[in-house]
Amino acid sequence: MPAGAPDSAMIRRLARPGPPEVCEIHYFVIILGAGRAAAGHDTAPQSRGPLRMDKTDGELILLWSVPGLLAIWGACFLLFPGFVQPMSPALTADEVAAFYRDPDNLARIRYSMILFNWFSVGLVPILALIAMHMRRMAHRTPILSYSFLGCVAGAPTLFLLANLFWLLAAYRPERDPALIQMFNDMAWVTFTSQVGFLVGQGVFLALAIYLDRQARPVFRPWVGHFNLAVAAALLPAAFVGLGLEYEALAWNGLLAFWVKNLAIAAWIAVMGLVLGQAIYTRRRAEAGLTA
Amino acid sequence: MWALVLFEGMLFTLYFAVYMVCRVQSPELFLDSQALLDPRWGVLNTLVMLTSSWSIARCVQASREGAYEQALRNLALTFFFGLVFVVLKVAEWSAEIRQGLTFTTNEFFSFYYFLTAIHFIHLLVGFAVLGIVAYQLRSPARRSQQIVETGATYWHLVDFLWVIIFALLYVMR
Amino acid sequence: MSAITGAGSARPGGLLERIAWHWRHDPKLELWLALAAMVLFYNLYGIVFFLVANAQPPPDPAWELPRVQQWFNDNHYGLPIGFGIIFIVTFLTAACNALIAYSMRRMSVSPAFAYAYFIIYSFSAIPGMLLTCIALVVGAMRPDRDPELILWLYDLAFMAFDGTMGVFLVGTTIWMVAILLDKNRVFPKWFAYLNLCNAMTEVVVAPAWLFTDGVFAWDGAITWWIDMIVFVVYTGCFITLLRQMILREDFGSGPLPELPAAQAATS
Repeated sequence: MPAGAPDSAMIRRLARPGPPEVCEIHYFVIILGAGRAAAGHDTAPQSRGPLRMDKTDGELILLWSVPGLLAIWGACFLLFPGFVQPMSPALTADEVAAFYRDPDNLARIRYSMILFNWFSVGLVPILALIAMHMRRMAHRTPILSYSFLGCVAGAPTLFLLANLFWLLAAYRPERDPALIQMFNDMAWVTFTSQVGFLVGQGVFLALAIYLDRQARPVFRPWVGHFNLAVAAALLPAAFVGLGLEYEALAWNGLLAFWVKNLAIAAWIAVMGLVLGQAIYTRRRAEAGLTA
Repeated sequence: MWALVLFEGMLFTLYFAVYMVCRVQSPELFLDSQALLDPRWGVLNTLVMLTSSWSIARCVQASREGAYEQALRNLALTFFFGLVFVVLKVAEWSAEIRQGLTFTTNEFFSFYYFLTAIHFIHLLVGFAVLGIVAYQLRSPARRSQQIVETGATYWHLVDFLWVIIFALLYVMR
Repeated sequence: MSAITGAGSARPGGLLERIAWHWRHDPKLELWLALAAMVLFYNLYGIVFFLVANAQPPPDPAWELPRVQQWFNDNHYGLPIGFGIIFIVTFLTAACNALIAYSMRRMSVSPAFAYAYFIIYSFSAIPGMLLTCIALVVGAMRPDRDPELILWLYDLAFMAFDGTMGVFLVGTTIWMVAILLDKNRVFPKWFAYLNLCNAMTEVVVAPAWLFTDGVFAWDGAITWWIDMIVFVVYTGCFITLLRQMILREDFGSGPLPELPAAQAATS
């Protein structure tokens, strides 16, 4: 037996009720349950889920961070002069340098990017909440939630890299224009092309939803379809390297900028709502049981 | 454990082969550089390693016979000789670096530092292995003969690799 | 894919029907999907890096500026197209790491091993692969860029590729120790020793930072060729062993049972 693992009796007590062939237990949840049991919390039968959701467990705080985050990100997006009218990759080095040196732009570039830097990982809490919900699904193994978490770790890091390059480009505007253009290129290519982990989030979540075969699945199947559609919408942006030859793929182009960013915005909005609905429904059910 | 001998052996064989190819391509450079190495260090280190192999072989023998106290003493001896090797090697490297012979001096010295360094790393891992063997021998509840023999095999591998490195770098002219 | 004893319904013939059956009934579906992701990723990786982008075997660090520019021009389409594919399929690495982490959870060792490995490898893709690809795509974008800047991007790309040696060194050592301590026989012990070899190749890549030519440069016999041989063998081995693990998986917590053929052979 792995160290700290509960015995089979405790596993049965912690098990969610349901048909035996779909009620496999996630090891993580077992350990967590064992820890809580060891710490003296009771694992009372009315706790329907493997994790007891007390009223003040902070879950709602994390959920309601999303509108705040969207407001901040939206403000940064509008503030950064390179986004609202997305910069063209066809600009010459001198034009790019002029953009960064323009006093109207420079302050906006720096402050919007600093704000982005502060809040780049802001989406991680609700992604973690989604991962928690994946654990409540009727899966045999934790592999899908692990995979999802792996993607969650990767995506903000890459955005931070792009952010860093933009800030670098703006740091010494008196620099050689060719250098400013290179940093600008690195920033835009990183920002646009690094869709892999976002695609992964969608694919793993969709798979998890499709394999969640129980009477009341955590998320409805249309959420899975939506995630796959968003993932598909992100695919063209990976080919931004061809942007100088094909306009739609340029980092200010229809596919690589507008479709990609609108798809991401839609994903955040829709998943925020879906997650909120799932959380509130479950909390009402638990409150009804304990009342 | 024989899988380890096989894998590491093949890996080192490839490194030695690359060394030989480079040596054939620039024989004068290698010969002149080798002359700058003091063979006495090499001989001393080889003797130390061979002695440590002898002592761990005696340790295995004692362990087979159930004479665990004696086995532990031989193990301690092996550890001691390993430490002597470490001290000698670091001293040799310091002397050579002070002479201005570093990793980037020329191709021969790149190989010299490279081969002796990865051997050194294997030796450090060997100390951990000896620790595991000691842990096994200490308590009657453990004493897995298989682990003892496996550990000894690893140490012999480290010794064997050193002998070849010694032959290639110091002796072969 | 093996028959699941006691799974019930007979499996129909025909590839599509078999896939449909597995999708609907196979309890190990998640594991097989993760393994499929692994196989798909490594195949794509090989095809893209070696054939499409022509970035492996790596070009020579000792080249003069015009030659470096020419390399980028020769691969002006291969680099953005190939790496576009890589940018998309990067997410498959999360499934690879998840499967390996799961294999460590199946062992008798602390779950900390699995989590540590998973965390380490999760962030290894960014500096070790994606930064390289980004730098090469940017380098290929503008043939008229200042040659010195192209050389800087060239260096950034290939040094970043070698630069994650510490990540893989520690990660593979964690896996090695987990296998050696494991009592559930999830992996054979010889694979632990192969992990040691893999760790060695990460150590051996260090001189690439010091040389621009010779066997220790980033394209050298020791730092690239031998490392790539070990990497291919290592990857082939762990994919095969993971497949065997999935076949043997019983979702329990004790020693993993052997495959039926092996049991018959040893009984």
